[in-house]
Amino acid sequence: MTAAENSARDSFVLLQVGERRFALPADKVAELAPPVRLHTFPHSSALVAGVIVRRGRIVPVYDVAPALLGSESPAHRFYLIAQREFGAAVEPSALPVNGECELATAEMQPPEAGRPAYVAGTLAVGGESVDVLNFEALVAATPQAAESNSSSRDEARP
Amino acid sequence: MKIASQETGKSRRARRSETIILFSVAHQTFAISAESVQEIRSTDSLAGSATEIEHPAIGKVRHTLERAHRIYYIVNACAHFSLPVTRPTLVLILRQLRVAVLVDKIERMAEISAVHALPRAFDGEERRWYRGLAYVDDHVIPVIQPAGFLTHEEFQLLDRATLAADSQREMEGAVQA
Repeated sequence: MTAAENSARDSFVLLQVGERRFALPADKVAELAPPVRLHTFPHSSALVAGVIVRRGRIVPVYDVAPALLGSESPAHRFYLIAQREFGAAVEPSALPVNGECELATAEMQPPEAGRPAYVAGTLAVGGESVDVLNFEALVAATPQAAESNSSSRDEARP
Repeated sequence: MKIASQETGKSRRARRSETIILFSVAHQTFAISAESVQEIRSTDSLAGSATEIEHPAIGKVRHTLERAHRIYYIVNACAHFSLPVTRPTLVLILRQLRVAVLVDKIERMAEISAVHALPRAFDGEERRWYRGLAYVDDHVIPVIQPAGFLTHEEFQLLDRATLAADSQREMEGAVQA
């Protein structure tokens, strides 16, 4: 493995959702977009809040706060654009974040037993344990299941 | 390079604009191809010509309209899109489908050069409701799929309910006579 590949494997983008920090593998993240208008229309897809227009493309916005925090989406300032895979196709997808994003290099540890499927592992960053998100599993989770996961996680922690 | 530039020019010329009607339902704006709409009438003009119909599984259809010996089912767009109920003032009578749609108001007509595919993130009923999304004056607006208002099975159920209601009316008429 080359140094570049090794670096890519261990690079993560730390993002802030509400009061908590999470991480996404850096190779899944395209950019941090400024706050733009959220367009909404009737639909029945879980977790999808609407769409934004970014670089001429229509990008779906996932409101993941209920899944991650078990509460409504807090005020956000930016959109983190990540790539979601649909089979062979890749679609840019936006996650509302508070804007406190930074790049971190660390070794991911496997998740503790019983953690939700959307937690791919944990990082030790500055004395804090940060959950690394499996984006596919996170957005595929129904809000009810995610909330249940969030509750069970909170109960499991002291 | 020269060939590529000619192809780009061709594709630009091939891009066809489409006229759409922007209408609103419960403060939400939708677009529908003007070619899909045969006629727009006020709901007041339907008084007397609309017939009540009821099917427990299809609450969004409460009336039918007969035009040119064909029964059109009147779909309440609020119910179809699960929006808060409003008082519709207009009915869009669709072309090539036996469907009329109750809406609140027509906003305007516009020309669009493209309908963008609905992102794959949308995996619910909206994939049947919409052809895609249009970008009109800095707004992203869903473009209606006319065939999405009623499924083939819903047409069959409504046709049977209509026949049953007609038979009932004929029997009641015979008893009164």
